[in-house]
Parts: sequence; structure tokens; C-alpha cells
Amino acid sequence: MAHQAHAYHMVDPSPWPLTGAISALLMTSGLATWWHYKTTTLLFLGTTLLLLTMFQWWRDIIRESTFQGHHSTPVQKGLRYGMVLFITSEVFFFIGFFWAFYHSSLAPAIELGGLWPPTGITPLDPFEVPLLNTAVLLASGVTVTWAHHTIMEGARKPALQSLTLTVLLGLYFTALQAMEYYEAPFTLADGVYGCTFFVATGFHGLHVIIGTTFLMVCLLRHTHYHFTSNHHFGFEAGAWYWHFVDVVWLFLYISIYWWGS
Amino acid sequence: MYYKFSDFTQKLTGSAPLAAYSPQGLRLGVPAESPAMIFATPTKLVSEAQATVEYLGANKVPDFQRLFQASDSIPVHLKRGLPDRLLYRTTMALTLGGALYCLVALYITAQPRNK
Repeated sequence: MAHQAHAYHMVDPSPWPLTGAISALLMTSGLATWWHYKTTTLLFLGTTLLLLTMFQWWRDIIRESTFQGHHSTPVQKGLRYGMVLFITSEVFFFIGFFWAFYHSSLAPAIELGGLWPPTGITPLDPFEVPLLNTAVLLASGVTVTWAHHTIMEGARKPALQSLTLTVLLGLYFTALQAMEYYEAPFTLADGVYGCTFFVATGFHGLHVIIGTTFLMVCLLRHTHYHFTSNHHFGFEAGAWYWHFVDVVWLFLYISIYWWGS
Repeated sequence: MYYKFSDFTQKLTGSAPLAAYSPQGLRLGVPAESPAMIFATPTKLVSEAQATVEYLGANKVPDFQRLFQASDSIPVHLKRGLPDRLLYRTTMALTLGGALYCLVALYITAQPRNK
């Protein structure tokens, strides 16, 4: 193997970008055939392919970094930039839904009764389960920071405990929110209120599930000694993502649950 | 169920028959034998513990490092041998088959539907 004269990572040829792209094709075509022809084959196939791609691609990254040592300092710096840019793009994604919410709620249309919440909508009490959800996510922000410090200190048992606690809090949030969705007196079809509520909180919930999964993988990796006290960027990326999810919830809570009720 | 007032806070709590509160000093028929007390299973030794993740398993990272740094020109996604190959071939089969199926399905859906 020729030695490279730079610290950057030239990856081995990989099939996962192709399989990922095809899975995107299958998922989008699958949505169209589901909606127009009521068949879910393509959608199911696309989702399976997406999961296979994600598993193998990220598995390969772990192999390249933890086992092959390719993640030098400049490489890690690039990954940090990458994660920051990705999270920034997600922030803009949510900005769109907040824009939609404020557009409709700051000047409520006459068809809604000229008020917000619209006539006929009984909003959820912000000081019941939504407040609990806020406490749960804030607590999880504390536990993930605690986990980071214990990883940096090389304290294995507290790190595993705090990371487990973070994951449990994330699962608790998801369970509570699922129950709220089931019990809510309004649905997605209830005009612009239902639409803005469920689309914004729904995408947030999806991101909570993604973040919880990310942290579960970090927990698994930590049990397998992948993280060292000064090199654990996979965990840091997960923690950043989790803090982002927490902040989005705070905005959702203040805007939609509290101000919007 | 027998009750007593707990020591410090004087709250009403469950109790064994003999320790139950009886204001008039009357003792109702105490059962001949108290129910068998079941304690939690004794704590296992750390070395035998099953689900504890804290200390379980030696650090296998050096072994994996040796495996994945072998100079055999195999790309990283196949470097572990058979399990990698199986998963790769399954994924690729689904990719190519799925892409073909998708194109056929889109061709069919693109045909005009004459009322």
C-alpha cells in the first residue's frame, strides 16, 4: 500500500452511496404508488434498503475510525464541520414549520373565527404532559452532558449509567408524546391548527427517535470500549444532535403549546 | 392485611400480624404460620452477572484493529469475510431488483388510463 503524504482519509470504494440513492428512488416512487394505487411493496422495499444502507455505511465508518485509525485530527475536524452543517440544515428545516405556524396564528383568518386557537379547537393544557415532556428533555440534556464528562474522565461505570439514563429519558419522552397524540381532542385534519401542530411536533418526535437511536448506538459502542477519553467524536456528534432536539422542543413548547393555547 | 403506624412518621403502613396496631389490645387470630418470606435472589458475583454491561467482556478493540488493518487489499465493507459478503449481496440484490421493479412500476403507472 503506497503511503500518502497527507493526513486526510481516502476511503475504499463503497457501494453504499448507490444503494442509498436507489433506496431514495424506491421510497419516493413507493409513496406515489401507495397513495395512488394502494400498494406498499415499493415503499417497504425502499425502507428496508435504507435501513441496510445506514447500518452498513455507519458500520464501515466505525471500522475505518476505531479499527483502522483513519480519523486523524484534520479528518475529525472535517467531521465536526460536517455535523455542524447538517444540524444547521435541520434548523432551517424546522424554521419552515415555525414560519407556517406563525403565519397562520399571528393573523388568524376569518374562517377560523379570527382567533387563535381557532373556534372549535380545544388545545392541550401546556402545564400538563407537555410540561413534563419539557422537564424530561431538559433532564436528558443534563445527563448527556454528565455522560460526556465521565467519558472524558475515563470513568466507565458512570458513563454507562448516565448514557443509559439519557436513552431512557428519550424513550420516556417518545412514550408520553405518543400517548398525547392518541388522547388529543384534535387531529391532523382539523384545519391549519391540526396541521401545524402535528407536522411540527411530528417531525420533532421523529428527530427524538433518531437522536435516541444515535445515543443507543453510542451506548453500545461505549460498552465495547470504542471511545477513549480524548477521542469520542461519535458520542459528541450524538450529544450535539440531542441538544438540538432539546432546543427545538423548547421553541415548540413556547410557541405552539404555550403561546398558541 | 394488618396495619400499624410506622415508627417515625406515624403513617399507616402494612405490617405483620404480630406487630399490628390493636388499640384495645385485642389480638385477632394470628395465623399459625406466617407466609414464606421470599427474598430477592442472592446477588451474583460480578464475574457471573449476565446483563450487567459495566464490566462485562474484555476489550476486543485491539483484536478488531488487527483484523481490519490486515494488508489484504479487501475493501472495508467486506473485510470481515462471510457475514459482510452475505449482507452486501443481499443489499445489492435488493438494490438492483428494486430499481428494475421501480422502473417497471413507473412505466405501468405512466400509461394513460382510458375511462
